[in-house]
Amino acid sequence: MTAQSQQTPDPIIRLDGVSFSYGSGSPRALDAVSLDIAPGEFLGVIGPSGAGKSTLAAALSGAIPHHYRGELYGSVLVGGADTCEVSLTDISRTVGSVLQDIDTQMVASVVEDELLFGLENFGVPHTEIERRLAGALETVGIADLRDREIATLSGGQKQKVAIAAILALAPRVLVLDEPTAALDPESSRMVFETLKRVNEASGVTVVVVEQKVALLSRHCSRIAVMGEGRIRIEGTPHEVFGRSEELRRLGVDSPRTVRISNSLAARGLVGPDARPCLDVDEARALIGRVVSASGGAPAPAPAPSASPHAPAPRPRAEGSEPVVELAGVAFSYGPHAAAVTDLDLAVYPGELVGVVGQNGAGKTTLTKLLCGLLRPSAGVVRIAGTNTAEVPTSRIAAHVATLFQNPDRQICKDTVLEEVAFGLELTGVATGEARRRARAVAERFGLPLEESPFSLSRGQRQMVALASVVVMEPEVVLLDEPTSGLDYRECMTVMETVREMAERGCAVIMVCHDMEVVSDFAERIVVMAGGRIIRRGATAEIFADEPLMREASVEAPQVIRLARALAAEVSPAYAGVSEVADIVRITEEAVRRG
Amino acid sequence: MVNVIDYHPGTSLLHRLNPVAKLALAVGIIAGIFLADSYLLLVGLIALTIALAAVAGVADRMLRLLKLLVPIALFMLAIQVLLVHEGEPILGPVTDEGLSIGGKACLRLLGVALPLMLILMVTKLTDLANACVEHLHIPYRYAFTFTTALRFVPVFSQEMDSIIEAQTARGVEYDSRNPMKRLRLMLPLCIPLLISSVGKADASALAAEQRGFYLRTRDSSFKRYPFAAMDLVTLAAAVALIVLGILF
Repeated sequence: MTAQSQQTPDPIIRLDGVSFSYGSGSPRALDAVSLDIAPGEFLGVIGPSGAGKSTLAAALSGAIPHHYRGELYGSVLVGGADTCEVSLTDISRTVGSVLQDIDTQMVASVVEDELLFGLENFGVPHTEIERRLAGALETVGIADLRDREIATLSGGQKQKVAIAAILALAPRVLVLDEPTAALDPESSRMVFETLKRVNEASGVTVVVVEQKVALLSRHCSRIAVMGEGRIRIEGTPHEVFGRSEELRRLGVDSPRTVRISNSLAARGLVGPDARPCLDVDEARALIGRVVSASGGAPAPAPAPSASPHAPAPRPRAEGSEPVVELAGVAFSYGPHAAAVTDLDLAVYPGELVGVVGQNGAGKTTLTKLLCGLLRPSAGVVRIAGTNTAEVPTSRIAAHVATLFQNPDRQICKDTVLEEVAFGLELTGVATGEARRRARAVAERFGLPLEESPFSLSRGQRQMVALASVVVMEPEVVLLDEPTSGLDYRECMTVMETVREMAERGCAVIMVCHDMEVVSDFAERIVVMAGGRIIRRGATAEIFADEPLMREASVEAPQVIRLARALAAEVSPAYAGVSEVADIVRITEEAVRRG
Repeated sequence: MVNVIDYHPGTSLLHRLNPVAKLALAVGIIAGIFLADSYLLLVGLIALTIALAAVAGVADRMLRLLKLLVPIALFMLAIQVLLVHEGEPILGPVTDEGLSIGGKACLRLLGVALPLMLILMVTKLTDLANACVEHLHIPYRYAFTFTTALRFVPVFSQEMDSIIEAQTARGVEYDSRNPMKRLRLMLPLCIPLLISSVGKADASALAAEQRGFYLRTRDSSFKRYPFAAMDLVTLAAAVALIVLGILF
């Protein structure tokens, strides 16, 4: 970027006062957005759902105005040409885009053919195709997958194939809309590392819409925060996350380390000009500096405070029976397919249990065994005293309510009210009574009762699904990735609701990739790997066990990793801490005493 | 059912044939099946199809497919037998002519379905589309539409399975033993499936356009599909099968 110091290069994409609405009369999805994207940038776009992020991505890639009809004002210049005046095909020569749903954009059954498709279409000379194809696979790091069938790849691998297929076309800009939405943390990290490599090695400009703040803050050179169709905050990750109060008001989360450094700054422990800490290393260095500058080492702290979210572990009533019980459970999808074995688990009323592990560890199979969609081939699954092998799945539904990752598979009625009441009616509650209870719950969530659920936003549809779970007043709630596809605020609504249900005596079992959410809300964790439960225990204890986390390929939450590092380098007082507030308090005590 | 017709990689003679030659062979068998009038030839052609599957190493999949098709074929046989009243009665409403017509109809059903499935098992859809565009001069957009439709079958069936699972988990009785009841419960699901299908098809079209779909011509394909000696032999065999069908 030496050129930049002398003279800012011409932007490769320039948005000038761009407004867009999907139909006359509908609200503006983009509202007077002006944005310059410089060649070589790695721009992250974040914001709550409905903020216009996907619309922005569509405008950058030319899908607006060429594919999505609506009213467009202002101008989008790609490589100097107005997107309204050139065809989508020509825009695609400059801007390559990767869509949200990977399966829909694949055209071939084998990786090599998938890459060939675009190369052939754009008339790349046949003598050059091999070099481009091999180069793209190499850059993305999937040269070994060249002859594999796409159907046999994991989600992360498919996403890399999609990126390679676009990269082979040698675009100057790569636009991605939530590329990690369906991926586990490990694959998400790999996708971002791939993008970083593409950005640095090939000089391709990257624009990525993403919800995961930790990934954005680590890899992006610039972040744009959207809210209500506008760009609200823009700057380097340090600049953007330095304004975490504003971000919170917009409905955007900050990395926990940022919360720590901002709290320290608010208490005057670090200078007001100190940069926010984007990751564990930065936070460790900052706290180390602050404590040693004061000359004091923190005294061993009193017992760490409980998580503000997690329900206090309640003593189980004497003789209380577990509501969910698995004993020696095994299941296999076939002789060579994935399997789970030796599952033993007991969950008591009022408990909130998290299930963590890599993709393919058997978490989904476990949830299907719990809601009766699968019957164990060995062992017994008991839900509220009933052996699931003995009753039809539809009867188990009266005891177990599941909140699925994708609400659209669950929704089937014409109005929100009917949808929420549907589950009750299925268990034999009279229509009038079901509607009355559904109305009460739906109103609590502020849902429009008479509207069609399909006309609502993704986040609102998830709220409809959540209301359908709450109204059942089940004994057990299963959550399958409850927070995926939701913004920070929606995620908190879901989790707070579930916590209230747990407090009223409902047993909650949640499969979740977001370790921050697990650490905040679960009191107990089950760790799975290779189809087995490798450990069960209290949340903080499990996350603090480094070898265990490595074995399960799970990255512990930031605060726990930070506490572990500080305990080793700065003071043992930090040992076992899992809350932002505790880190701040211990640091403050150390500085005051010193 | 769906994964039965997926492409199965291999290096057998059948795999290496030109996709157009394979298609011609399938057409030859099918035409033979339609024209044939003797049980011997009908059974022979079906046996040939299964033998070809064995050569290509997909015999097990072929037999799985056969297991799915046989009940349908038997159902057809039963209907034919009940509808045809000509000929000598054998038992109740069953006549010898009914049995003979029904038997042939049921063999024809198998004989038509199997060769097409076999081709899909041993040919990559991309190759099939590209070769048809190169040799048969089919416009690429038709070839693409066809292959995309086939490619979407497993995507949609997965989606349908997930929808049914989600609905069962909330208490809809898809696990009921009564098939009519299951069917009635399935109908409302067409709406979510339709909505998600339209969305997927739309995204698919956008993605293809952004990868230069409209620029594609007959010469675009990187891979070429020349006819080799074996392919010409196959074409001749296909013609021979048709002649055989006319004769017997």
